[in-house]
Amino acid sequence: MVKFTIEQIRAMMDKKKNIRNMSVIAHVDHGKSTLTDSLISKAGIIAGEKAGTTRYTDTRQDEQDRCITIKSTAVSLYYEMDKADIPEGTEPGHLINLIDSPGHVDFSSEVTAALRVTDGALVVVDNVEGVCVQTETVLRQALTERIKPVVIVNKVDRAILELQLDSEEMYQNFVRIIESVNVIIATYHDDLLGDVQVYPEKGTVAFGSGLHGWAFTLNKFAKMYASKFGVQPEKFIKRLWGDNFYDPQSKKWNHTGLTANKKPLKRAFCQFIIEPIQQIFQAVMNNQIDKVVQMCTKLGIHLKQEEKELVQKDLLKTVMKKFLPAADALLEMIVLHLPSPVVAQKYRVNNLYTGPMDDECANGIRECNPEGALIMYISKMVPTTDKGRFYAFGRVFSGTIKSGQKVRIMGPNYEPGKKEDLFVKNIQRVVLMMGRYVETLSDCPCGNIAGLVGIDQYLLKSGTISDSETAHNLRVMKFSVSPVVRVAVEAKHPADLPKLVEGLRRLSKSDPCVQCIIEESGEHIIAGAGELHLEICLKDLQEEYCSIPIITSNPVVSFRETVRSESSILCLSKSPNKHNRLFVKAEPLNTELQNEIENGKITPRDEPKSRARYMGENFGWDTTEARKIWCFGPENNGANLLVDLSKGVQYLNEIKDSVISAFQWATKEGVLCEENMRGIRFNIHDVTLHPDSIHRGGGQIIPTARRVFYASQLTAEPTLMEPIYLVEIQGPETCIGGMYTVLTRRRGTVISEEQKHGTPIFLVKAYLPVMESFGFTADLRSHTSGQAFPQSVFDHWNVMTDSPFSENSKVRNIVLETRKRKGLTPEIPPLDRFFDKL
Amino acid sequence: MPLYLIGLGLGDLKDITVRGFELVRESDFVFLEIYTSLLSSVTREEMEKFFQNKIIEADRDLVESNSDEILEKAKNHKVSFLVVGDPFSATTHMDLYLRAKKEGIEVTVVHNSSILTAVGSCGLQLYNFGQTVSIPFFTPTWRPDSFYDKIVANSNLGFHTLCLLDIKVREQSVENLLKGNKIYEPPRFMSINQAIEQLLEIEEYKKTGVCSPDSFAVGLARVGSNSQIIKFAKLSLLKSFDFGKELHSLIIVGKTHPVEDEALEFFKLVDLDEKLDEKLDEKSNENQN
Repeated sequence: MVKFTIEQIRAMMDKKKNIRNMSVIAHVDHGKSTLTDSLISKAGIIAGEKAGTTRYTDTRQDEQDRCITIKSTAVSLYYEMDKADIPEGTEPGHLINLIDSPGHVDFSSEVTAALRVTDGALVVVDNVEGVCVQTETVLRQALTERIKPVVIVNKVDRAILELQLDSEEMYQNFVRIIESVNVIIATYHDDLLGDVQVYPEKGTVAFGSGLHGWAFTLNKFAKMYASKFGVQPEKFIKRLWGDNFYDPQSKKWNHTGLTANKKPLKRAFCQFIIEPIQQIFQAVMNNQIDKVVQMCTKLGIHLKQEEKELVQKDLLKTVMKKFLPAADALLEMIVLHLPSPVVAQKYRVNNLYTGPMDDECANGIRECNPEGALIMYISKMVPTTDKGRFYAFGRVFSGTIKSGQKVRIMGPNYEPGKKEDLFVKNIQRVVLMMGRYVETLSDCPCGNIAGLVGIDQYLLKSGTISDSETAHNLRVMKFSVSPVVRVAVEAKHPADLPKLVEGLRRLSKSDPCVQCIIEESGEHIIAGAGELHLEICLKDLQEEYCSIPIITSNPVVSFRETVRSESSILCLSKSPNKHNRLFVKAEPLNTELQNEIENGKITPRDEPKSRARYMGENFGWDTTEARKIWCFGPENNGANLLVDLSKGVQYLNEIKDSVISAFQWATKEGVLCEENMRGIRFNIHDVTLHPDSIHRGGGQIIPTARRVFYASQLTAEPTLMEPIYLVEIQGPETCIGGMYTVLTRRRGTVISEEQKHGTPIFLVKAYLPVMESFGFTADLRSHTSGQAFPQSVFDHWNVMTDSPFSENSKVRNIVLETRKRKGLTPEIPPLDRFFDKL
Repeated sequence: MPLYLIGLGLGDLKDITVRGFELVRESDFVFLEIYTSLLSSVTREEMEKFFQNKIIEADRDLVESNSDEILEKAKNHKVSFLVVGDPFSATTHMDLYLRAKKEGIEVTVVHNSSILTAVGSCGLQLYNFGQTVSIPFFTPTWRPDSFYDKIVANSNLGFHTLCLLDIKVREQSVENLLKGNKIYEPPRFMSINQAIEQLLEIEEYKKTGVCSPDSFAVGLARVGSNSQIIKFAKLSLLKSFDFGKELHSLIIVGKTHPVEDEALEFFKLVDLDEKLDEKLDEKSNENQN
């Protein structure tokens, strides 16, 4: 029962003011997919009755089985608002491109990919659980991408049925949730985006129940009551929130909450909205069918005969869905309060485009001009039914993309004017992605989301598509999770190795975050964000991408190598020809500084003078030294710095590139066990060079610089940093003992324990080393009779305190274990291999 | 037991001194240093036949990083270390000399002619040379220009500059170096033409006029061998002249003495186009007359 045709949709795509690209984001299990279903039911792809149980956007069998979203899924919806509600100057009929995203932290890279192609976000918050750790993460991600949020407080039915809160308690709970959302929004305030805090009285917050298919904004009730009170709905809506009280006796409004003779009053929100809803609930649940019918008639709801025979929750669903249809409330909120591409691209362009802000591409994006230069961003790859092939999924920001068009496919390492990471190929087909189906389009104008066929082999995971030779890349997406958990895989039958390699290639394409690496020892490694993520990846690999039996190692964790003090001596290394000498010391970087580098607050692209000033003011750096930062590493952006403290060395510039290459190499593979370094500052104190360029080329300098970096690391109390999860565990009070037992056994430390306001549920927050987290969920469940639910998210790197040189220390064991796994020499290399005597 | 550091000279196998020849013959091990220079068109087989001794090729890795291997042998055997040119000119093997001495090994040095002296064959006097420079191969990311400044400094004092041109016999690419792969690039030798191109590229932005297309220079190829070529001309003209096989050197000419001018005139490369122009001019003059 499709209510729209592909031609209708294609026509809508040109009316860019009537397009809304939005994602649905939330903490896991707060009900995104279920809410999305009620929106889809309105747009009519599936029959209305099935909404609420189908989870339409969970297209994979395992998603349906586990009741969890793994991949983000896009659907296009078509919505015509009531004529009366349409703002002046707008045509009726809106095209809504919606992306349902996963809530589990392990898949937050999918959220990042979804946010990049949308302009607005529907943030779903569970009324009972409130704002959770992942709510904060996804909201932060949205705001840094300049995505405007609107909020729905979901599962309100639970507050009424299970917790049996009274109306004032419910109001207070709503206020708390909205406040915590607004606190997060205020923290990430962005001048260009403006104030995007949400307010019920402005219509940017909705309340409802996805499962029952009902929801409302204050708008709905304002309209309903306005005529009765004889005021404009715009005025009335303000009275429906906050300290506004109505005294029915005196028929007067006040702010005190008391009648003239000091009797307490109910606030308008409770009196006019919550209580009528509660009454319906009560009547239905108490099987007072006459009363229900009577109320329905009053509200203008028509119940069919067979519907009157329903009881309890089924009846409740039917009545509430007719009274306050969720789709109408949400679609109206989306259309009225989320920006169209025309509006959004004006302020998003500075954030998106890496080239000059006045070239043809930047202008095309800013104006959302379908006639402009083509710019499309591919944010992820979606598997097709044809095994091993992918749709390149993304958003057209400027120009129009057509089937058969010849385009430039630019990978993340492409630089304008160079040929690396660039392909010029034809687009085979442009498709519209609608949940489980795709529809072919002849072309797709800017402001829309589309899939491309025939370019998957030219892009690894993401990239920019353009037809302009001067086009720069759109900014590469920054993921909030990093692949810290890894397993080694091998084919059970060695003859299957080519299939495994091909399978890994496909797997790496299908997921924005997973890394498939071949170690020096020949091991194939899959690195993912967490245990669940890895589990899904391995399943996909085995069943989808290579279909061969696979042996999997136990999961292992990535570490970082760091130092704890300044090098005890000034380290010297001589080049092979003995004519070039480098003098270097290592020292630890401030923890806060490391975080700011990793969060992109301090970047290698900053203007050096202002960066130096910032580092001077905030981290006590000597500003002259801070100006002489040569580079960041590894990968040119990691949290290690190379600083030149030498004075008056002639020809130093000629070896700079070689020293930087060595620095990238050394910081990528530290001396202890070839893990990435983190939080180390290397100071070049002095350099002696051969007078002739030929004798100080890369071949002489690169190995020497690497050796001196290793020597400085070894003399500066080297150690490892291990990744730590922040775990949030929810459960009833009886479980707390079990939670503590499991946490303590796994080196966890509890940081807070509190009762959720108005619920019997306790929330325990703790730090847990990732290394100890394997099997944590199962262990916890068995110790709490399955009543406690943990959610872990990577939080920080923790410096391990013991020395890798003392026998049997934990660090030493990890180092030696890792060396063995990587096929390195069993012992940490001694200092004299890197350190030369004068 | 002794270590002999023996210069092979430049042009031909037979350029070795008689003393050097005898020492090589009686050695137990003979190393040939192959990474700083080489004898044109002499194969190892020819050399082994000539010395009636086995030759071990010593690349950069062996000499610079694993020189202990050579010294260890020298403790109990007679070891020769052959260097094209002179052992202490251009690339010096002083490090090997000092280390051997410290280990208590007796070292005998047999000198020979080097490019540093053989350039005298072009007529420029060795007294008038300034600092010698090397010109390395440019890579997309590594384009040093300090040698240019030295040429300018020499030129300001009126000195000639001898430019030794890069040779890469067994080098790893940066990628392989970073990964620690022992994969070596094919041998490469910089030609005079490429050296001039690089100099002109630097001249483009430094603009001192010292290495402009109109500056005078001498190109030398295979000095000391039978196929030796010496040509004197402006850089613009030398740039397109084919000097043939390796090895090449280049001299940027400073202030000249009349005796030097005479010699240069002898090596002058005639610009055929210019000559044609002159002939045409003469003809037209005749016609007018």
